[in-house]
Amino acid sequence: MSTNATVNYQEEKGGYYKVLIGLLLLTTVTFIQPSMFLTDATFVVQLLIGLIKAIIILFYYMHLKGETLIGWTVSFAVFIVFFFFTIVIYDVQNFQYADESHISSAATSAGSPTAGHHSTSSDSSHSTSEHTSGASHESAHSEH
Amino acid sequence: MSDHAYVPEIATTRDGVEHEVQGWQGDFYGGKLGFWLFMLTEVLMFGAMFMVLTYYFTLHHADYIEASAGLNRVLGGFNTVVLLISALTMGLGLLKMRSGDIKGAKLMIWATIFFAFLFLGVKAIEWSLEYQHGVFLGLDALQSGNAHSKPFGQILFFGMYFTMTGLHGFHIIIGIGLMLWLLKRINAGLVTPEHHILHWNIALYWDLVHLIWVFVFPYFYMIGADAGGYHIPDIGSLFGGHSNEH
Repeated sequence: MSTNATVNYQEEKGGYYKVLIGLLLLTTVTFIQPSMFLTDATFVVQLLIGLIKAIIILFYYMHLKGETLIGWTVSFAVFIVFFFFTIVIYDVQNFQYADESHISSAATSAGSPTAGHHSTSSDSSHSTSEHTSGASHESAHSEH
Repeated sequence: MSDHAYVPEIATTRDGVEHEVQGWQGDFYGGKLGFWLFMLTEVLMFGAMFMVLTYYFTLHHADYIEASAGLNRVLGGFNTVVLLISALTMGLGLLKMRSGDIKGAKLMIWATIFFAFLFLGVKAIEWSLEYQHGVFLGLDALQSGNAHSKPFGQILFFGMYFTMTGLHGFHIIIGIGLMLWLLKRINAGLVTPEHHILHWNIALYWDLVHLIWVFVFPYFYMIGADAGGYHIPDIGSLFGGHSNEH
């Protein structure tokens, strides 16, 4: 547990530089990933890298390593956020009001003038747009 | 004497054991725990915004990817590195303070302030480029129902982009203010190697600002990276030169 005690700067600073190098490496991976590997899962991989970076920052820069009470408090708050994330994502992936919803009617870019410029994005949107495309014929008024 | 000068107070139990009553400067753990609770409210606030972002990303997947592909990843990435280094200088500053090197600590805080201004400057350039490309809050491209309107999902994307990066930028400005206040209190001898909870908590705040960016950056800038290739910044267009198609 981190305390108010004095520290030896020369002994401790090495840890900070190691963390910096680790974070810089992960940032580099963030940049090259979309064109290098797992390109069909960019979103998940990017957030996973972010999660690793966040844990490193929390543990070392924010001194959470070894903190029991604060550690559990933070874990609980993060759990609440992820819990609601899960519910919302599940809910929206089973969206039932495509036909009634003004928003969902414009959700798909299948009918937009710019759609199809990027084949990857169009391909990756199929799973989502399938359940919203039923109302795409309504979207013209909101797009133009 | 300052209102917050540290004055030890002794309380005695029934058994005659003396304890020092802790003021807010002396109660290191309490001060730290309290600040963590504040930071958790920040996590919940940004968490809610990320949830909205995720909601619309799921509904408007293709539009989000396409809008993200148009963002300036070079400037965004540069700012990521700037924040990363600023987190290091802030951490080293705290380390110097704890080790008794007050002058070195102040130098590191000034370095962090410099990086914070650098971040804001790059962000200002980025937003200016967006504005020149017609993509900014209130402009036709982000209003529905006119000839220049972007697809609805892209309007939502850019709405969230400007809101969240703007709110993050606001936190940077608050951070600069806090660091200047910290310097003032260090100069006044109110933050010392023995009583550095204020320095500790402001360093925590700065790490939180960094932490939020760790998720803001990939969520906005990188999700469409494989769709549109890397976007080379056209700084010259700010000064009247050729402007890239956004």
